[in-house]
Amino acid sequence: MTKSSILLFGIWSLFCLPKVLAQDLPERPNPPTLVNDFAEILNASQRKSLEDKLSNYNDSTSSQIAIVIIPSLNGYEVAQYAVELAEKWGIGQEGKDNGILILVAINDRRMNISTGYGVEAFVPDVTANRIIDRTMAPNFRNGNYFEGLDQATSILMALLSGQFVAEPGARNEGFPITLILVIMGIFFIIIFLRSKGGGGRGGGGFRPTVHTFGNPYRGRSSWGDFSSGGGSFGSGGFGGFGGGSFGGGGASGSW
Amino acid sequence: MKRLTLYLIGFIVISSLSSCGYNTMVELDEKATGQWANVENAYQRRGDLIPNLVNTVKGAAESEKSILTDVMEARSKATSTTIDANNLSPEKIAQFQQAQDGLSSALSRLLVTVERYPDIKSNQNFLDLQAQLEGTENRISVERKRFNDAVQAYNSYIRSFPQTIIAGWFDFEKKGYFQATPGSEKAPEVQF
Repeated sequence: MTKSSILLFGIWSLFCLPKVLAQDLPERPNPPTLVNDFAEILNASQRKSLEDKLSNYNDSTSSQIAIVIIPSLNGYEVAQYAVELAEKWGIGQEGKDNGILILVAINDRRMNISTGYGVEAFVPDVTANRIIDRTMAPNFRNGNYFEGLDQATSILMALLSGQFVAEPGARNEGFPITLILVIMGIFFIIIFLRSKGGGGRGGGGFRPTVHTFGNPYRGRSSWGDFSSGGGSFGSGGFGGFGGGSFGGGGASGSW
Repeated sequence: MKRLTLYLIGFIVISSLSSCGYNTMVELDEKATGQWANVENAYQRRGDLIPNLVNTVKGAAESEKSILTDVMEARSKATSTTIDANNLSPEKIAQFQQAQDGLSSALSRLLVTVERYPDIKSNQNFLDLQAQLEGTENRISVERKRFNDAVQAYNSYIRSFPQTIIAGWFDFEKKGYFQATPGSEKAPEVQF
């Protein structure tokens, strides 16, 4: 009887897992980069210059300004697309929410500056709107995408200067509860199956269970596999997005 | 037979103590309630912008008094319709949404009217308000979507088996969604 309740508990924990939703947006870049030119508008040296500038800024202040250039919005509204993308990638640090996304959709001739929750106070919508109207749009109209982005990021950096500081080695993640549940579930099922198959005396009261628990069994070495699953970021430059959150602040415009 | 009942009780106790049962319901409930506060904040932000907008327009468009009055009336109706975060029933949400949609439609009529006034359209103050309003509408739609997601997670959790039994004992009730009604899923047009 104890066995069947153990089995039930195992099944129960396996059933109660949260679902993951898939979205229609570009995947987070791997290795992580702050400048993501999916439309191939910038040349290699321009891309590197922006990446170095933003990555250094991230290192010294922990604020993350990301640039994403896409060919088309596929019918989405630019602000909605930007917020969902920024949220999905987790631009900025978790808790500080100090991320900014500059999204440019080349064929739609639309652009957006989205500000994370923590940045809204330093880059209000009106300011974001002026950066778009007075800095980005005039440059973009002349085809000077790099200049527009370079100047816009400089303004944003100036606005954020002194507001956030980097904390060295602050990144640590909690152990996921769901993983524990899965392991427990599998564990109980294995115990159930083993004690049933091994003993053959199904109705027995307490003894078989004690016996199983006391037995050191060989499957143990396989637990090690779980630890290798974690994602590893970091290859010289930018260390990865920090899980910042966005609430729709910012501005959009066209050129 | 007595033993069986004991086991049954033991099983129920274990399952409600595990994070999958009661605790998850509380967590999802708190999440939806917390998200509701963000929705209200975003709407509040819009309410706060409107007096400024009305004042800016008033100076240049004296003849549009009736529309301006409509907007102010819709605003006071919207800001006075608040609901208790502990009772987010579908009826209450619908009531809240109706009041806010009234303001959305009055606001979009105002912005369409303003198009006829070049003075206002080139006024820097108005342009700034327009940018703020646009950002606020984006915030509203983001927070509303997150609220709907939180409610969906909560509703589908409490309604699926076997949680539905526990939800019944502890009075976890279904929460309401924001509906996309014609004219409200699209933010008032503020592009000129």
